[in-house]
Amino acid sequence: MTPLDFEAAYAPIWAELEQVIGVAESKRKFDGARLATLYRRVCEHLALAQARAYPIHLTQRLEALTQNAHRLVYRRHDYGMARFARLALVDFPEAVRAHRAFLWAAALMFLLPLVAAGWAAYRDPGFILHLLDAGDVQQFDAMYGDGAEALGRKREADDDWEMFGYYVMHNIGIGFRCFAAGIFAGVGSAAVLVFNGIQIGAVGGYLVAAGHAGNFLSFVVTHSAFELTAIVLAGAAGLRLGYAWLAPGRHTRLEALRLAARHAVVIVYGVVGLLLVAAAVEAFWSSARWVPPAVKYGVGGACWLMVLAYLGWQGRPRAGTSAMKERHAG
Amino acid sequence: MRLDTLHTAETPEGIALSLRPAGIVARGLAYLIDFAIRLCIFFGLAMLFGALGKLGGAVLLISYFCLEWLYPVVFELTRAAATPGKRAMGLRVVMDSGLPVTPAAAFTRNLLRAADFMPSFYFAGLVSMLWRCDSKRLGDLAAGTLVVFSDQVNLHGDVPAAEPQAPARPLSAQEQLAVVSWAGRATRLTPERFDELARIAEPVLAPGAIGAGASQRLLEVAQWVLGRRAVAEAREGRKQ
Repeated sequence: MTPLDFEAAYAPIWAELEQVIGVAESKRKFDGARLATLYRRVCEHLALAQARAYPIHLTQRLEALTQNAHRLVYRRHDYGMARFARLALVDFPEAVRAHRAFLWAAALMFLLPLVAAGWAAYRDPGFILHLLDAGDVQQFDAMYGDGAEALGRKREADDDWEMFGYYVMHNIGIGFRCFAAGIFAGVGSAAVLVFNGIQIGAVGGYLVAAGHAGNFLSFVVTHSAFELTAIVLAGAAGLRLGYAWLAPGRHTRLEALRLAARHAVVIVYGVVGLLLVAAAVEAFWSSARWVPPAVKYGVGGACWLMVLAYLGWQGRPRAGTSAMKERHAG
Repeated sequence: MRLDTLHTAETPEGIALSLRPAGIVARGLAYLIDFAIRLCIFFGLAMLFGALGKLGGAVLLISYFCLEWLYPVVFELTRAAATPGKRAMGLRVVMDSGLPVTPAAAFTRNLLRAADFMPSFYFAGLVSMLWRCDSKRLGDLAAGTLVVFSDQVNLHGDVPAAEPQAPARPLSAQEQLAVVSWAGRATRLTPERFDELARIAEPVLAPGAIGAGASQRLLEVAQWVLGRRAVAEAREGRKQ
């Protein structure tokens, strides 16, 4: 068969596929079955044309056709709420448990500096000046003290909203950076964790030593359940990336990195959710001065328990169902 | 040494898709266009909500966050698979396999822009893009995505008309391809260069009409390869 005969014989099919692609790209409704059928036929034609070294304009036309059809045939359809619910109820907590080792590492990298800096600042209030300027420290003092400028005293609903916006932008950004920096062999994530640990610990220790313990702790106890967990989780996801780079195992480095990113990004989805909750709680609940501290401690404790239980148990298959599954698989 | 950056991906149907990764210039320009668009949107919102006081401030901060992190993700998950800037430059984002980009991959590649940005001004991303022949930045490496040109270029035009003429000996498939590709470039090459290339094929050319140049004779062969036959010959072929 000469190229001309080939073209004459199959050109109607190509033209039809072209037309179907045009419809599919512009409208919502199109004939998927026809598209798939034509796509497979044209794939055969392309393979023939390549094997017989037909002129390049012919193979190029077929290539363009198959590529466009390929994109449409394998398009994703499932962006629905069901997937979203599954992410929150099963995939995210399960991904967290699957990365247990990284989670412990990240938690240690965060908590040890936090405790150490907190202790140092508690023992010696001057310690905090190694980390912050005097101006910032004074601001903290004013914020958590009992004065008129204190946090939440004069704040109105509008301020709460502004702070909510600020926390969303600032904290989720930090979470994202903490994850992304992990690609540099995990060093970046570790640095973010340690830095934040020292900073938070030092401020906390200083404020407790300065006698603002009640104000400070009742302010942070509730949203910290979501915020600190989220930072540690983002760090764990980043460490996972870095680990894939350092120890790729039986994959190539790139392959390992890609796999790690696919698993770790599920955790980052969860981090976004946790930080959104944290921002809302911090803006609207933590700053509310009319709530007695005892209530805040109670609610905060409950939140901590809830978050930890959610990460620990949510989405585990029931003992019975998992046995069933194994039997089916066997 | 390979000079082109063509990236081939095999599909389940057993055909190879050829993807053409976009280089640093096209992607950089696309980024600048997107940056300008984001800036305009932000200023527009600032004009609208700036007057609303603290509540407006909250909207602005959240919209800044969305423009920074979600703008590319949302646009890359549309059918065009590209942000407005990429679309203007004729680019699209696909998976390594040639498949449309998945939500997880779009999210990953844009999160890791923070890593590409380090230590400043996308230095890590630029180094990675210059280093690799498929111009992937770190985010693309981790997500397994590729930024490709969406439109096919057509280097070959129609083969100029000529009386078909059989070559002196049967041509292999590769030789046939070379002859037709050469003929398709008739309008793009100077006549001198066109003729110079044709003379390389002198050994397979039939003697042809007296005084006809090598390129004229090779064009005749090209028509023959394409499947055109002289009228008399075609009649003979039908009789057999």
